Amino acid sequence: MPEIIDILNALVLMTNYVILPALTYGSQLALGALGVTLVFGILRFSNFAHGDTMAFGAMATIIVTWWLQSMGVSFGPLPTALLALPFGIAVTAIFVLLTDKVVYKHYRGIGAKPITFVMVSVGVMFIMNGLVRFIIGPGDQRFADGVRFIFKAREFKDWSGLDQGLALRSSQVITIVLAVILVAALFWFLQKTKTGKAMRAFSDNENLALLSGIDPAKIVRITWILAAVLATVAGVLYGLDKSFKPFVYFQLLLPIFAAAIVGGLGKPIGAIAGGFIVAFSEVAVTYVYKKFLIYLLPEHLEPNSLMQLLATEYKFAVSFVILVLVLLVKPTGLFKGKVV
Amino acid sequence: MKKHLLTAALTAAIATSSMANAADIKVGVILGFTGPIESLTPDMGASAELAFKEASDSGMLLGGSKIVPVRADSTCVDASAATAAAERLITSDKVVAIMGADCSGVTTAIANSAAVPNGVVMVSPSATSPALSTIEDKGLFFRTAPSDARQGQVLADAVVEGGIKEIAVTYTNNDYGKGLADSFVAAFKAHGGTVTIVAAHEDGKADYSAEVAALAASGAEKLAVLGYLDQGGKGIIQASIDTGAFETFALGDGMIGQSLVDAFGADMVDSIGTSPGGASAATKTFVKMAKANKIGGEGPYDGTSYDAGALIALAIQAGNSADRASIQANMNKVANAPGTKIYPGELKKALEILSKGGEIDYVGATNIEFNEVGEVFGTYKQLEIKDNKFSTVKIR
Amino acid sequence: MSLFNNPSLRPYLVFGIMAVLLTFVGVTQSWGVSLTIINMCIISAIMTLGVNIQWGYAGLFNVGIMGFCALGGAAAVLVSSQPVGEAWSAGGTGISLALLSLVGGVCFVYILHKVWGKRPLRNTVTFIAALGVYFLARHFYDPASAAIEAVDPAKTGYLGGAGLPIIFSWVIGGLFAAGAAWFIGKVTLGLRTDYLAIATLGIAEIIVALLKNEEWLTRGAKNVTGLPRPVPYEIELQQAGWFIDLVSKFNADVLSGLAGDERAAALQTLVMDASGIFVKLCYAGLFSVVLILLFVLCQLALNSPWGRMVRAIRDNETAAAAMGKDIKARHLQIFILGSAVVGIAGAMMTTLDGQFTPGTYNPLRYTFLIWVMVIVGGSGNNLGSILGGFLVWFVWIEAEPLGTWLMDVVTSGMDPASALREHLIGSAQYMRLMVMGGVLILVMRYTPGGILPEKSARK
Repeated sequence: MPEIIDILNALVLMTNYVILPALTYGSQLALGALGVTLVFGILRFSNFAHGDTMAFGAMATIIVTWWLQSMGVSFGPLPTALLALPFGIAVTAIFVLLTDKVVYKHYRGIGAKPITFVMVSVGVMFIMNGLVRFIIGPGDQRFADGVRFIFKAREFKDWSGLDQGLALRSSQVITIVLAVILVAALFWFLQKTKTGKAMRAFSDNENLALLSGIDPAKIVRITWILAAVLATVAGVLYGLDKSFKPFVYFQLLLPIFAAAIVGGLGKPIGAIAGGFIVAFSEVAVTYVYKKFLIYLLPEHLEPNSLMQLLATEYKFAVSFVILVLVLLVKPTGLFKGKVV
Repeated sequence: MKKHLLTAALTAAIATSSMANAADIKVGVILGFTGPIESLTPDMGASAELAFKEASDSGMLLGGSKIVPVRADSTCVDASAATAAAERLITSDKVVAIMGADCSGVTTAIANSAAVPNGVVMVSPSATSPALSTIEDKGLFFRTAPSDARQGQVLADAVVEGGIKEIAVTYTNNDYGKGLADSFVAAFKAHGGTVTIVAAHEDGKADYSAEVAALAASGAEKLAVLGYLDQGGKGIIQASIDTGAFETFALGDGMIGQSLVDAFGADMVDSIGTSPGGASAATKTFVKMAKANKIGGEGPYDGTSYDAGALIALAIQAGNSADRASIQANMNKVANAPGTKIYPGELKKALEILSKGGEIDYVGATNIEFNEVGEVFGTYKQLEIKDNKFSTVKIR
Repeated sequence: MSLFNNPSLRPYLVFGIMAVLLTFVGVTQSWGVSLTIINMCIISAIMTLGVNIQWGYAGLFNVGIMGFCALGGAAAVLVSSQPVGEAWSAGGTGISLALLSLVGGVCFVYILHKVWGKRPLRNTVTFIAALGVYFLARHFYDPASAAIEAVDPAKTGYLGGAGLPIIFSWVIGGLFAAGAAWFIGKVTLGLRTDYLAIATLGIAEIIVALLKNEEWLTRGAKNVTGLPRPVPYEIELQQAGWFIDLVSKFNADVLSGLAGDERAAALQTLVMDASGIFVKLCYAGLFSVVLILLFVLCQLALNSPWGRMVRAIRDNETAAAAMGKDIKARHLQIFILGSAVVGIAGAMMTTLDGQFTPGTYNPLRYTFLIWVMVIVGGSGNNLGSILGGFLVWFVWIEAEPLGTWLMDVVTSGMDPASALREHLIGSAQYMRLMVMGGVLILVMRYTPGGILPEKSARK
């Protein structure tokens, strides 16, 4: 029987390396996937430009942050970017609405196939891809300020007397808290407000909704604004937690899609579940369980090998393996997503 | 037949040299201005062009000729695009030699399908893959950065001398990272050290917590990061510090740069690194020159880039001709002993000696001496982080 | 404008414009550059033919092109590189055992899953069995792959290939891709459009991850360089008597005016230039043969009863099913055929590069760009997709010099030291991305069927 202290050490180890990072990353993915799934639910296509919308939103926020920083404005211990966030959201929303007006609206008018929308969104993706690099460049941008750590691993060790450290970053807390608030607000909006109900009705049955007098233009507008809010917040949170680099946001699109599909397209709750499933499986499958098991197992059973299921090289592939496996069992995702 | 060609080459050399007097000489600069090492290349290109400018401004080069650099983007990763760019330089701009390329993969592609077929000399300042030692280059490929096989050894020596017995290794998942990791791990084990885990990381990915979790759980306290400064390598270090997994790092040359120290300097305890570099006086001269021209000068490949550019200029002068074959024939002559030793900033002196028929031995910023396959043995700086910047501990 | 709108003349016109563009590059830059572009154009055109089979004929939305392309490239390595005997003796048996246990194990799990039937814990049992198979395979695989990778890691460290002429890999690459497509199709073709798309996107990433990390197979991220060519090497040509004679015959009038040393010098330069162009022409010839062959086959297929049936399925699945057509089987067939063509193109591309670098496959370049080609050229029309391959690759390559030139012009009035001007010129290369997106959106808006639309117009 392992001692209490070993169990505690094992728990702290898991929390520090698996649970906390996966929770944070999962929240970022969930917010991204919510945007994808919302657009799919109302506008009925997979928006390939969503990753670059996140990059665009983060970029707009960063520029405002820089401006605020140069004006000497700060947000105390919190990052200034949070102050700039509303401006970033506004700019992104305007840009996205403009894109809709110039590009997507035409295809709704002629009743184009969903696949046409997807291809068009690939075109928008290329343009945003170039635009973001054009404005802010392809390099790494740092814009995080404020207090980085709530407590560091070393401080935790000294405080608790355990062998294992636990670090908690402010960006992790901000990410998780903000994600919870945003998701709660979104669900409240969809469940309780008149517009939200109309959106759900529209998503479930377009014709019926139109018959009952719902204004489709308004629904579409609200959807794009919500998508812009979710994309910008996800993009900024990701940038605060790691760093901002346009190329990475394109890479982020793939796990976001995986998350949205695993949960079932068009299902907000599915997107959130999908985000966490993808994040946790990436970390858990490639984790080295040697140290963890050493704490928990009696001495003669202690492993010599690394106890790693899959090498980290395959981390990125894990989310897609999960995706394929889920689709094999449930062809439209865990929460019975929509098909068009 | 061979004899015939040789005469042809010689006559061509004479024919063009008589025409080339006081004319512009085009030299290609192929570097990855976009792509994974786009943050390093502007200074590298500028360093090479600094050497060209120095030679041109001296007024001594072929009696007053000027070298005009023509830049092209190697993208670092896309072989097709890099070959197309090199093809454009060689057949359309008619460059006489190429300073480049940078990443090992595209360098091989350009050498095989553009430079070697057209008899154009390539001098790479940063392609460090051991595999390049054995390509079929017909004596046209040179490099001023030493092979990774050597760097792995040097870094392992430094780590072991630092008293580290157990280490985890992570590398960027490409030929550079993998090659360096292979040689580092072999050398470290030969010293009796234990490598607990060797894990790759992908560049440009969203999250590195899984990699760091695996590395930390392997049981090692120190981490060797063989990646790129502005790519996954940085993500790994950030995630390591964030989780408290590691605070002592051993860094390969791709990780050396001020931006790393600016970001995490305070949290990186007792960390060491290696980067190609030469006898410190010469290197300092170069850095001073570079800074005077608004170039960083301290990037991992700035010195080697300057040397690559300088060697091309000197080889032109030594053969008294801006002809492709003549440049090739004279590369070793200007780089190796015997002759007057030439340090950075002394190109004018070197050109003068050469024009009088004398001999030189170019040492440059990074202690150049080519072996029989056109590679330098290489000296390395062992670096540590001190007062928020990298400083040289010793030369290996 | 009426000429452009005449459907029967339009192909001649647009291909004529394409030829003029390539000639223009040949004259103003150099023929070497022009031929380099043409060779990649042909390869792109073959890829678009493959995608067109899937999308244009049958409406299958495959976003996994990158994976099939990479498989073709892997075939080039496995066919043409020299076998490494030492590596085979070090780990050949272990790897074979691992593969054997994997294949056997998968069959076992499959049968177990069937036999278990409706008994309880079916999924749990299957899962545990699968896990067991995985660990068994790992048991053989881990030491074997480590042993192979330890064989002279700087140069080999892999099993090597068959040592055959690389041109065989074009067929093998097609077969590899077809095999993978069969498997992927079996798994995913039951999915609806968007689900299928993302699944293929993910599977392509898995394939590339495998090729990049299984070093015992293809050297992975360490790349295989210096693959043998199907055409002569420039250096050999430059020393071959017949080639020098040929060049001097061709340029007799230029050379006749010169004598002795001068003539030899001029000849030397001419031979060097000519050798590069000759090699590229050889490639262009080989590639054209493949392109024409595939084009003819595609045309025949499209206009056969089979082609009509496939298009009928695309336009109305329910009606076709009611007519007794086996939609799933047809879709699988199409998926395999199209992917095989992409695999062929992938092998050809690796042949042309002379190296296999799995790290360079990314979806933007190898999936989405190909899709832009298909849509811009005209989906459902074979000639259209070929045109798309040519035009879009041309723009992709020439957008860089063009962007730089454009920025120079735009900023010419500004102060040379101004920060804005420097920023704009420094950002010129991103024009490439925006131009691509712009072209795609404009084409989809104003000629929704592409430049050369499908003949029997579809809504």
